[in-house]
Amino acid sequence: MPELPPKKVGIISCSGEELPEGTISRLATLRVLEQSRPNNTVTICLPLFLAGGEGDRAFARFYPTIAVDGCDKRCAFYGTSQYSNQPAASIVVSDLIKDQQLPASHRRRKLDKAGQQVVDSTARKITAAVDEILSQGWDRRQGEFERADLPAERQQDSSTACACQSEIPSGKVMLAGIEISLVALPLIFETFLKKRKTPSVETAKEIMDMLKIYNRIDPQMDSEIQQAVLDEFTLEFEKLKP
Amino acid sequence: MATQKKVNIVPCSGIGKSFGSVSRLAAYFITEDDRPQTTRLIPLALLVLGDESTHQAVGEDPSITMDGCKLQCAKKMVEQCGGQIAKDYVVLDAFREHRELKPEGIAELNENGEKLARALADEVDPLVDLTTGSKKEVAHA
Repeated sequence: MPELPPKKVGIISCSGEELPEGTISRLATLRVLEQSRPNNTVTICLPLFLAGGEGDRAFARFYPTIAVDGCDKRCAFYGTSQYSNQPAASIVVSDLIKDQQLPASHRRRKLDKAGQQVVDSTARKITAAVDEILSQGWDRRQGEFERADLPAERQQDSSTACACQSEIPSGKVMLAGIEISLVALPLIFETFLKKRKTPSVETAKEIMDMLKIYNRIDPQMDSEIQQAVLDEFTLEFEKLKP
Repeated sequence: MATQKKVNIVPCSGIGKSFGSVSRLAAYFITEDDRPQTTRLIPLALLVLGDESTHQAVGEDPSITMDGCKLQCAKKMVEQCGGQIAKDYVVLDAFREHRELKPEGIAELNENGEKLARALADEVDPLVDLTTGSKKEVAHA
């Protein structure tokens, strides 16, 4: 396997600027990203799934994510599901307030004491979800847990790093004059070159098998892309020659 | 009495960088303090999700987008929803004009970040007046 970034959990926060619970979601998410689990988490801006590149979308497709929503509209959860992959866990701040009988906050720009208390509880809940996810295997090919007995939260939970800085790098190949972007290509090439693999049809097939873990490749284009990948790999191989 | 024309204020929803926080704070300045009667705050997430009333607001009234970075998610989303953009701002451009105001912090902006947000809001306010054809609102107590 190529040496992809270490296993991390993506936290996608509600951006609901119009509600105090939106501010709570953001602050609790930042608390986990910056303080409680800085080495194991990364954030992804929800709108980046639309405006961003393939790398942004690939992250949530192949890594487990936690959606932190302010209200029952659950924009983060549904947005992520729609544009990338279903989050591994979902936390809804308004539900948490009800369940734990927390005080309601009335300020959205700068939280009051009640809001800060809810931030504490939400951050603890996110941290627990991160730990639980990290303790389980994640099948990057399928974008789901390896275990069959999924935790209850996975299905229905009542419950700083930014993805644009830590996305899986993409590489490009030319196909009939058109540039095609392939997620993880540079890392896969690097791994094969380190193993002293030489350009051949066999090597190209192995690279394609790796690429299919991180990219959706149209079966009808398979052989053309394989040839383009082999051409690109040959160029990289030649560069290393003394 | 005719309904007051409104302008949608659409800030960046990024939480990974200070510039996103600046755009959000500027949006609060405009919609809560400066022009509460003639503006409405549009959360980007609701546009992404396809919330009906949010899409209707963006479809009916002009929008001012304030993006934190060059990816310009806010601008792209409004365009994708068929909305009319009165002006698109990028916080980085505002920072270039006020290089002494380097924003730091995300959860809590530093003083320079707050001042930069204020400067951005000051730039947007007259455009809101121009777009809605209204005079400057009197600040309420």
